Amino acid sequence: MTDVTVDQVVDHHDDHGGGHASSLGLSNMKLAFWLFLGSECLLFGALISSYLLSKTRFITEIIAGNPNVVSTMPAELIQEFQEKGSVEPMFDIPFTSLSSFVLLMSSLSMVLAHSAIVKGDQRNTRLWLGTTAMLGSIFIGGQIYEFTAFYREGLTFTNNLFGSAFFTLTGFHGIHVTGGIIMLLSLLFLSFQGKLNSSRAETVELVGLYWHFVDVVWVLIFTIVYLIP
Amino acid sequence: MSDTAISENAHDTAHDHDAHDHPQEKQYWVIFAILAVLTAVEVAWSYLGLTGPALVLPLIVMMLAKFFLVAGVFMHLYFDLKMLNGKYFTWAFAGAVVLAVIVYLVVFATFHFRFAYFG
Repeated sequence: MTDVTVDQVVDHHDDHGGGHASSLGLSNMKLAFWLFLGSECLLFGALISSYLLSKTRFITEIIAGNPNVVSTMPAELIQEFQEKGSVEPMFDIPFTSLSSFVLLMSSLSMVLAHSAIVKGDQRNTRLWLGTTAMLGSIFIGGQIYEFTAFYREGLTFTNNLFGSAFFTLTGFHGIHVTGGIIMLLSLLFLSFQGKLNSSRAETVELVGLYWHFVDVVWVLIFTIVYLIP
Repeated sequence: MSDTAISENAHDTAHDHDAHDHPQEKQYWVIFAILAVLTAVEVAWSYLGLTGPALVLPLIVMMLAKFFLVAGVFMHLYFDLKMLNGKYFTWAFAGAVVLAVIVYLVVFATFHFRFAYFG
């Protein structure tokens, strides 16, 4: 490929809000970002499998009445776990369902923000970026409330294997959502400074990819951790 | 394929991307509605009092449907994969995903075996 042709491709692509096109047809930035998301999949895959294994072991020990495990939580809660044969009594499903819905709505507002910047619509870009950040913040607020409720009920990060695995998994997800909110607020700040226009649409798309990834991970966590006993 | 042909292909693909091969806003709203309904059905299903595979399998199917809708449409994966030049990259991508799932399941089964039999 000659240098002139590469420049033509890049120039043409940049004019329309894309990044540097590679010979694969996608920008190098986007391919690199997908590679990063692939590594994130490995991280969350490990955390989810650790949680499943820890929960299974925890429930097995609880049903067997192992005193070392039973003594780590309040007796009433342990009794509920034993009766149900699962950790289901711990969770507030209606509340978590609402949180999941909020995160789904934020995915919609994120794609609408990207769609707006591609069209050069600054007002709607700011509106949807702000909405996404706000919905993400509501989700994080819900998670803090849930963690506090669990702590009051007697489940902490250090009292048993289940607590450690649960807080590590959902906590890591919460940290990722918080990181996404910071990225969104940075984009909003750049937009108000006039530094975010349609030529930077790919930047919004990459932040969007990260945000949707966080949403997809929650889709898995919600079903695997909360709905399947 | 000559260098010129490759560069023309890259140019064409970039142009296709610029022509906004991604979904329109209306499609995003439709996908969101489907995701919301699936979430509501998932939650309702978990309250039916079912146990075993009757509870778990539909939940897994709905979870995967939501996963692929978000990854395919909101993350543009379905549209971007179509733009990637050549079939080899797509096959390599799909192969890597399948390999990752197999490795994950093998590791999971191994650990479960160890916990079940050796504590």
